[in-house]
Amino acid sequence: MNELLAAVVTAIDEMDLDGIEERVQACLDSGISPEEIIEQGISRGLDIVGQKFEEGEYFLGELVMAGEVVKTGMTRVSAVMDPAKAKQKGKVVIATVEGDIHEIGKNILGMILSTAGWEVIDLGVNVPAATIIETVKSSGSQFIGLSVLLTTMIGEIKKVVDGLTEAGLREQVRIAIGGACCSQDLADRMAVDAYGETAVEGTRIFDRFKEALS
Amino acid sequence: MNPNERIIAVLDGKPVDRLQTFYPGFDSWPTQQVLGKPLISGEAIFRNPLTRKIFDKWGPKLANLVTDPAINADFMKAIQAAIKVGFDLVWVGPTEGQVMVWNSNTLLRYSGSFYELTTDGHGNMYYMYREPAFNTPEDYYAWPHFVKPDDAAQKSYKFFTKAMKKYGDKICVMPQVQGLHETMILSLGFVNMAVFVRKEPQLLKDFIAYLEDYAMKLCIAMLDAGVKVILLGDDFSNKTGPFMNPKTNDELFGASYQRITKVVHDRGGRIILHSCGDNTKMFDYFIKWGFDGGHAYENTSNVDIYKEKELHGDQFTMVGGVGVDHLLTEHSTPEEVEEGVKELIQVLAPGGRFIIGPVHTHPDMDMSKVKIMMEIVRKHGKYPIRL
Repeated sequence: MNELLAAVVTAIDEMDLDGIEERVQACLDSGISPEEIIEQGISRGLDIVGQKFEEGEYFLGELVMAGEVVKTGMTRVSAVMDPAKAKQKGKVVIATVEGDIHEIGKNILGMILSTAGWEVIDLGVNVPAATIIETVKSSGSQFIGLSVLLTTMIGEIKKVVDGLTEAGLREQVRIAIGGACCSQDLADRMAVDAYGETAVEGTRIFDRFKEALS
Repeated sequence: MNPNERIIAVLDGKPVDRLQTFYPGFDSWPTQQVLGKPLISGEAIFRNPLTRKIFDKWGPKLANLVTDPAINADFMKAIQAAIKVGFDLVWVGPTEGQVMVWNSNTLLRYSGSFYELTTDGHGNMYYMYREPAFNTPEDYYAWPHFVKPDDAAQKSYKFFTKAMKKYGDKICVMPQVQGLHETMILSLGFVNMAVFVRKEPQLLKDFIAYLEDYAMKLCIAMLDAGVKVILLGDDFSNKTGPFMNPKTNDELFGASYQRITKVVHDRGGRIILHSCGDNTKMFDYFIKWGFDGGHAYENTSNVDIYKEKELHGDQFTMVGGVGVDHLLTEHSTPEEVEEGVKELIQVLAPGGRFIIGPVHTHPDMDMSKVKIMMEIVRKHGKYPIRL
């Protein structure tokens, strides 16, 4: 691997918030394209962090910190990047359901998806089902990620599923859920397409969704 | 044995005659299912246009004038409800001016976090964490709302002297003291916490010192008031494990917690740690830090409660076990509750060091299911366990 790109990977793996911009700039100055910096540097760095998280070496704190390092590095990349090239995988609508205002997991998912080439439409927290469905319609997105922490709010998942069915969109849209009160059992009961226990797993789910629909 | 002695015996791993039971007395609706609803609902008081106007105009000036009496009254009722249902141990909150009205939609916790003031769907006020107050180190150092630990301790002493006089011979009253780690995350935010661990060590040191002093003084005040068992509330984990590396948690908080638990033990008290989530990688540290037991062991958290019994059951009392995601809600059947509770008794009660109860507070907890749980415990919870 190119040394300069390897330095970007290391900066993310080692949570080097102070050094990331310099390393990304060094790549740009040497003529490496923004797309390559994202794919071969930033995404690889996130992959390593994600793997270490799944292996139990890193924890949520490291994921969050890596996210900050990526965000900082991306400011240099985004400044010179053709926006059309940035988000090629597709659009994902993510939201914390109505009545719930927890968002840390959703935010980490959004960060990783964005870096991985998805256009993330983050509707925030306490989002009514109708808003989610309207956004899917207007954006043409085929992918939804719902975050639910509170057990009392799981009914909102069904509202999204029913709303999509009523709108005639259920067959062409894939829904994943995540959050403290979620489980595969809940995903089955709510008739959604997947349950992701972690944000890292979530990105793999959306890749699989994309493959299934193409 | 009186209720306090029984719970202490369980926490010390000594034999008692029957399995002890625990009630998390934080939510209004479960308490109201036992005692009845108030004449005027909290929602009617806090959500009417006049109150909203007053809160929006004068919220911070009112400080905790409104919140303290409301919260104190709620916790006294929770104790009454727990006694009526027959619980042995009741968890009540910190009552020492922890929160104040900020505006008609917002509560402020003095340690630096904002909460959405909402309703629980049953006519009672409720709150959910919204955001941190400290976005920069400057925000922290300029914060004008920190409570003086001595003032908080005095308020606690007053409340718990009253509570213990009224109810201390009927139930073991277990007040909560706020923890260090969770408070910091709520006040700084997850992102800042992750960044500040690496970039702002002095701020963390200063914040931890304040929170330790606060917790220590509260514990001493509560023990002086006659309380024997304290719960320190500090969520270290979510369902995928600890938020931070357990070693980092130990480096940051371990020494403080060892001092706090020592202060409690030196005064004849006991202290358990409430921590949500999958704490599998943290239990050894909880024990090292001197806690006598832990709550919650949520069934949705990926903690293997039965394995934990094998690993730590001889040195760390487990409190909780009964799920609030399904079993103790309106969605379960009585048969499911019976089966679930029996299994917990069968596996966890033998050998002691287990206090059964809900894994968490929940605003929709169905007390008819809780009563089934209590009936099963009454039937099958005598030692030796014969299930």
